Amino acid sequence: MATTTATLTLSSADLTGDALSLSTTATLTKAGTVTGLSQTTGVARKTTSSTAQYTLFDGDAYGNGSHKVYIKNTSTVATEYATIEINSEQMGKLYAGDWAFFPWEANADTNDIKVTPSVSTALTVEYALFYE
Amino acid sequence: MATLSVSLNIESINVLSANLSLSVSKDMDIDSGSLARAKVKGTAADTNDLLVYKANEKNDRAYLYIKNLDAELENYIYLRNETEGNVPSGKIGGGEFAFIPLAPDKDYEVIATKVDTLIEYGIFGNDNSAVTGKG
Repeated sequence: MATTTATLTLSSADLTGDALSLSTTATLTKAGTVTGLSQTTGVARKTTSSTAQYTLFDGDAYGNGSHKVYIKNTSTVATEYATIEINSEQMGKLYAGDWAFFPWEANADTNDIKVTPSVSTALTVEYALFYE
Repeated sequence: MATLSVSLNIESINVLSANLSLSVSKDMDIDSGSLARAKVKGTAADTNDLLVYKANEKNDRAYLYIKNLDAELENYIYLRNETEGNVPSGKIGGGEFAFIPLAPDKDYEVIATKVDTLIEYGIFGNDNSAVTGKG
């Protein structure tokens, strides 16, 4: 059984009068069990040169579960973003240097994760999927 | 303006043949944000949902940290883009968390599989003073 952990840290000395310092760790497990996620795409990158939407992860390929997704927009141009959709609903926009980490159920064939680059010049998204 | 530093580390010694150690971070220039804890009452969409982000409460961009504090992994919470439909965009088990950008012009709500599931969440970004009664 594989053991993979994710640690998120949030900190700020000046956002509030009481300094913010939060660190939380989770072991990435399969749905409803303590068994670790055993499969992964590894850390990979995809570069596009079009504003056409593409499917990063196909729900039909992974099936129902408690997969974990990491996506980062590696651009260094502040105005460049990648719009992330799940189930054809917008999750949000990853601007240059932004990243996201979230569980993904993939409970239906249509439960795809799709990415739409904001620019037709090169834009690279880094990603990793840990799945059941 | 304030700075929020956010980092993520993913590590494993055995999910691949080689060690995995992924580390990313970002310093965000924002002017507002907070952490909160709340109980999720609703177990079905559109009935007692917990509003965690009200549309347009932040300008341009907004970021959500959310953690399910329930001790049981199978007691899930579901994050929904309420403005666009009832399909969950995130299913978070007990002890699990997410950090995601939000579409700043949409409402986001949470329901759970168990009444009164305790969650911790934070919204960060640049405040829009025109929006009141925020999540």
